Amino acid sequence: MSPPAPRKEEPPRIIEIVPPEGVPIRFDVAGLGARFVAQLADILLSLAAVIAVMALLFLSELIPMTGLVTVGALLFFAIRAPYYILAEILMNGQTFGKRLSGLRVIAVDGRSLSPHAVTVRNLMKEMEVFVPGTLLLTSASLSWPAALLLMAWISVLLAVPLLNPMRQRLGDILAGTYVVTLPVPILLPDLADAPQDQGRFNFLPHHLDHYGRYELQTLESLLQANRDAMGRGAAARHDDNLRRVAATIARRIGYTGRLDPDAAEAFLRVFYRTQRAYLENRKLFGDAREDKFHRSQGGKSGPRGG
Amino acid sequence: MSVAGNLIRSARFRAEREPDWRALEIVLAKAERHGVGALSFEEAHALGTLYRKAMASLSTAREISLDRALLAYLEALCARAYLAVYAPQQRLGGLLGRLLGTGIPGAARRLWPLILAAYAILILGAVVGYMLFLADPLWYQTVMPADLAGGRGLNASREDLLAVIYSGEGSASDQLMAFASTLFSRNTQIAILVFSLGVLACIPAAALTFFNGMVLGVFLALHADRGILGDVLAWLAIHGITELSAIAIACAGGLHLGQAVLFPGEIRRRDALRRNARDAVKLAILAGMMLVAAAILEGFGRQLVQSPGARIAIGIAAGLFWLAWLALSGRRTR
Repeated sequence: MSPPAPRKEEPPRIIEIVPPEGVPIRFDVAGLGARFVAQLADILLSLAAVIAVMALLFLSELIPMTGLVTVGALLFFAIRAPYYILAEILMNGQTFGKRLSGLRVIAVDGRSLSPHAVTVRNLMKEMEVFVPGTLLLTSASLSWPAALLLMAWISVLLAVPLLNPMRQRLGDILAGTYVVTLPVPILLPDLADAPQDQGRFNFLPHHLDHYGRYELQTLESLLQANRDAMGRGAAARHDDNLRRVAATIARRIGYTGRLDPDAAEAFLRVFYRTQRAYLENRKLFGDAREDKFHRSQGGKSGPRGG
Repeated sequence: MSVAGNLIRSARFRAEREPDWRALEIVLAKAERHGVGALSFEEAHALGTLYRKAMASLSTAREISLDRALLAYLEALCARAYLAVYAPQQRLGGLLGRLLGTGIPGAARRLWPLILAAYAILILGAVVGYMLFLADPLWYQTVMPADLAGGRGLNASREDLLAVIYSGEGSASDQLMAFASTLFSRNTQIAILVFSLGVLACIPAAALTFFNGMVLGVFLALHADRGILGDVLAWLAIHGITELSAIAIACAGGLHLGQAVLFPGEIRRRDALRRNARDAVKLAILAGMMLVAAAILEGFGRQLVQSPGARIAIGIAAGLFWLAWLALSGRRTR
């Protein structure tokens, strides 16, 4: 069988945390795009709050038109800094923007997120995001040495999270926090659970000696594809794939029984179940097999393909 | 298909434990939506038990199962449950009380040598500025930023300066404006800069503080030259004692961060930064509070109180208040 070529995107960035229970838990580091969206949503939210308060102040005629900008800037600061800190303390590491894009702040050491850490990372955000941002907006009035200094400052601040493998801002480093994406637990049905056609195909031990964990799990993801959710063209391609994979497997393992083109999926399901039982049994005896090239985990020998 | 009849170990393993995982999902959804505090006793108890069961399942599944769907599900479920179980359970009131009662004063007491050093840098700057002015008044234009000088240039007469010092009281809206604009004045930016430049190393933070002191020095020297030093000191004192202290404290926080970068000791710089940030951030919060207080004193107090004696008295009272709080609060709680 030919596994689909692994997609060439940047490798997932994984954070491993060991909670007191001693079982390591993994999180994906949040992407910069998702963080940007969350940040934007939070800024819009606090801007809306500022505009509401400003409208009140303006209607009560407490401030003249000329002072609007100064008071507005002050309010923006006075609302946004506590908003980030309080939201992340009370909502366990999420602001509304982070909740929207499924992000969360976690502590590096695997313990709970402390109010101190939240305060540090958000105070640093002031000087990492908002102060240079405000200066940038008023950069037209800066003298050129000041503008040069500002550019240097901003590029250092941008370089830190970009060069950092865990995408930590300076504030994250100081606070000892990561921003991660919240995993969504979805339990797909167990393919080994429904062997209706158990008797139709029989696999012998020598049939099962060809493949390892990698091929088994690739086959699993093919069989887990939800056919009902596909369009007509995609479903036809999917059926075609199943037939080809079934034929390839039958050829490679030397299966001599009858294989109807219509029975491809049933054949694959029974094969999956039998192969998994076989591999898990061998794993139990300490003979784990990574893939068809007998590669051990992390090894690099052997060609890949076919 | 009965459980017993299914011969694959991992499938049997899954069928046996799946009800527990589903139950955990339900409790977890409630805990995430309304907070752990909203759970009943039974639910909270179930959350802990089911979490540990799921963790044990994950550990076993990683060993025995080749079912990728199962592994991905358990990884995600355990990660979320872990976040809910180890969520911080703080009350906001207690948090603020601790910060104001012991946290900030404690940090200020632990770092008092640095705060003194920051004051020394500021005062040294002021003395140097003063001396420079005495040596050559033209230094005033070099040191003083144009936007800060306002109408108080080198050529301002004694009457011009006095007019600024005793400018009359305005309406409520003017005072709100004055409050807002003073809070956004140069000093707030300087405090933020001084603190955050500390991360890069101590030198920029100290230099900026020193320069700020020089501005103060030439400013005082100008007024002394016109023979109104007392008036300007009173004018400064009402908010300046608080405001300059805020800058010194922000500088001390920055220096503390800079110490971590310059002298990390036996640990990595990143860890040293994290360690020193605990106290430095408390100083930054303190400086922020003092800047707000100074802006109130300047925006409202200085307009309402015109007599020099009262101005000095209010300024010193504010200074004593800060000193008493920082020196005395939370001494016996630990």
